[in-house]
Amino acid sequence: MELLLPFLAALLFATGVYLLLARDILRVIIGLNMISYGVNLSILLVGGTNPEGAPPILNAVARNYVDPLPQALILTAIVIGFGTTALILVLGVQAYQATGSDQLQDILNTADPIDTLEATADPERPSLSPEMTTEREDHS
Amino acid sequence: MIDANILALPILLPLVTGALLLLMPTPNARTTVAAIGSAITLTVSCVIAATVFGGEVLSVQMSAWPAPYGIAVVADSLTGVMLVLSSITGLLTVLFLGSSLQHPPRRGASNQLNRAREQFGAQALLQFLFMGVHMSFLTGDLFNLFVAFEVMLIASYGLVLLGSEVRQLREGLKYVVINLVASAIFVTTAGLVYGLLGTLNMADIAVKVQAHLLDGSDTRVTLLAALLGLVFATKAALFPLGFWLPAAYPTPPAALSAFFAALLTKVGAYTLIRTFTLMFPQASGVRSSLLLIAGITILMASLGAVNQRRWRYMLAFANVASVGYLIMGVMTQNTLSLSAAIFYMMNSVMVMFSLFLIAAIGERLAGESYYYQGHINAYPLLAMGFFVSALALAGLPPTSGFVGKFGLIQGLYERGDRLATGVAIVAVIGSLLLLYGLMTIWRNFFWGESDAVHRERLPLGMTITTAVAGALVLALTLASGPAYEVAANTAEQLSEPSQYIERVLETRPGLRTASF
Repeated sequence: MELLLPFLAALLFATGVYLLLARDILRVIIGLNMISYGVNLSILLVGGTNPEGAPPILNAVARNYVDPLPQALILTAIVIGFGTTALILVLGVQAYQATGSDQLQDILNTADPIDTLEATADPERPSLSPEMTTEREDHS
Repeated sequence: MIDANILALPILLPLVTGALLLLMPTPNARTTVAAIGSAITLTVSCVIAATVFGGEVLSVQMSAWPAPYGIAVVADSLTGVMLVLSSITGLLTVLFLGSSLQHPPRRGASNQLNRAREQFGAQALLQFLFMGVHMSFLTGDLFNLFVAFEVMLIASYGLVLLGSEVRQLREGLKYVVINLVASAIFVTTAGLVYGLLGTLNMADIAVKVQAHLLDGSDTRVTLLAALLGLVFATKAALFPLGFWLPAAYPTPPAALSAFFAALLTKVGAYTLIRTFTLMFPQASGVRSSLLLIAGITILMASLGAVNQRRWRYMLAFANVASVGYLIMGVMTQNTLSLSAAIFYMMNSVMVMFSLFLIAAIGERLAGESYYYQGHINAYPLLAMGFFVSALALAGLPPTSGFVGKFGLIQGLYERGDRLATGVAIVAVIGSLLLLYGLMTIWRNFFWGESDAVHRERLPLGMTITTAVAGALVLALTLASGPAYEVAANTAEQLSEPSQYIERVLETRPGLRTASF
C-alpha cells in the first residue's frame, strides 16, 4: 500500500499539470485541485507512514504514535485550497460573463479600452493606433 | 528592553483594523480608522526596529510551545528594515487610496467603480495584505511562511480583482493561477523539508542542514534549496517566471499598484535572502544560477520598460528590473554586495512607491498614456519629484540609487569571476535602458510647451502623500550614510546567522521573560 501511494501522488500531479495546460477554464481549475490533492498526499507520505502508530494522544499503553505534524500541515493546506478554489471559480464565472467564453485564449485576448485622448495628445505621434497601444499583449 | 511579545503586534494590528473596517459605515470613517491602525502599526514597527538595529535578535514562541516545535516569531535587523519600509508605505497607501477613491477624476467612467471599490472593502483587504506581508517578515517557521504568503496573496487577489473590469479579470486569472501553482510547489517543498530534516523551524533547519552536510554534499539538500529558490523567484518575478507581473500590477487602482510594486515583489526578495543566508547558505550552485537569472531579468525587464507607452506598465517593468538588481546583490555571495542589496532594497521600495504615486497623479491629469506634453509649467513640484525619483531609480549620482548600485557592482567586482563580470555589464546596460525609459516619460509628459495643460485642483490627500513619498526619497539620499550603516550591520548579521539561531532555539517558555 505504501508503495502504491507515491505513484498515486505522481499520477495526481501529472493529471493536474495536464489539465492545467488545457484551454478550458474549468479544466484549469480542476487541474489546480488535482495538484493540491497530489501535494496533500505527498506531504502525508514524506512525513513517513506509520500504520501501527496510535493516534497522537498521550496514553499509558501506546509506545508508537503517528506523527501529527504532516496531518496539521495538510489540514491547513486543505483549508487554504478550499478558499482559493472558491475564489477562482467565481473568477472563472465572472470572466465567462464578461467575455462570453470559457476558453482561455478568448479571455486572454480581450483588448483594453483605448484612452481616446491618447491619439491626439502627442503631435509627434499622431498615428498612435489601437494596435500599438495593446502591444503589451506580447509580453504576457 | 522591550518585551518580545511585541513582535505579534505588526501581525495582529492590521488584522484587528481590517476587521473593524468591515463594520465602518462611511468612506471617511473607513479611511480614518485605516489610517489610525496603520499609524499605530508604523509606531510599533519603529519600536521593534530601534531595538533590533542595535544588533539584538528578538524572538518569541507562539503559545509558549518549546523552540523547534512551536511557531517562532523572530525579528532581526533585516526584519526591522522590512517592517519599517512596509509600514511607512502602508500608511501612505491607505491615505492615498482613501483620497483617490473618494475623489475620482472628473474624466472617465471610473467614478462609480472607484466608489464601489471603496465600499466593498478595498481598505479592509489592504489591511489583511499588510498582515500577510508583516507575517512573512516576522515568521521563523517555514510552513508559517507559506500561510503568511497565502494570507498576503488572497488579499492581493481580492485587490487585483475588486471592480471586475475585463482587464482585471484577464490579468487576475493569470496572477491567481500562477501563484496557486507556485504555492503548491512551496507547500510540497515544506513537506519535503520536514521529511528530510524533521523540522520546519528555520533556525533548526539551518542547524540540521549543517549537520546533514558534514559528511559531504547531498543532492537532496541542493534540490530543496533549488525548489525554494524557484518558488520565491516566482513571487519576486524573476525571469522567466515573472511575465505575469508587469501586466497584473497596473490593473488595480493606482495606490494599490504602488504598494504591490514597492512591497510585494520585495517579499519574494526578502524570503530569498532568508533562504540563502540562513537556511541553505551552502547551496552556492543554486545561488550562482540565480545570479545569472537576475542578470537576465535586469536585461529583459529594462528592455520591456523602454517599450511601454503607459505610465504604470512602464514602471511595473522597471520594478521587475529593480528586483533583479536586488537578487543580483543577494546572490553575489559576499557581505559587501549583500549590504549594498539591502540598501538598494530601501532605495527601491521608496523610489518605486513615489514613482507610482506620481504616475497615479499623471494618469489622473492626462490618462493612462504619458504622451501629453508640457506639465512642468503647471506642476513644477510634481515634475521635480519625478526627476529625483527617476534619477534614484536609474542610479545616477548624487541619489541613493547611485550608492546602492555602486555597491552592487563593486560586490560583483570583488567576486571577480566571468559570470560576475557578465552580470555587471548587463547591470550597467540595464541602468542606462531604465534611464532612457524614464527620460522618455520626462520628455513626453513634463517637458515642453503646451497650452492644452491647465491646472487642475488635486485632492489634498493625494498631493500630501505624494509629497511625503517624494520627500522620503530625498531623505534617503541625504541620509545615505546612516542608512548604509544600518544595511551593512544587517548584512553582517545575516552572514553570521549563529546569533539568530541561538536566540530562536533558546527561547524556552520559562526563559522568555528572564532573557528580556
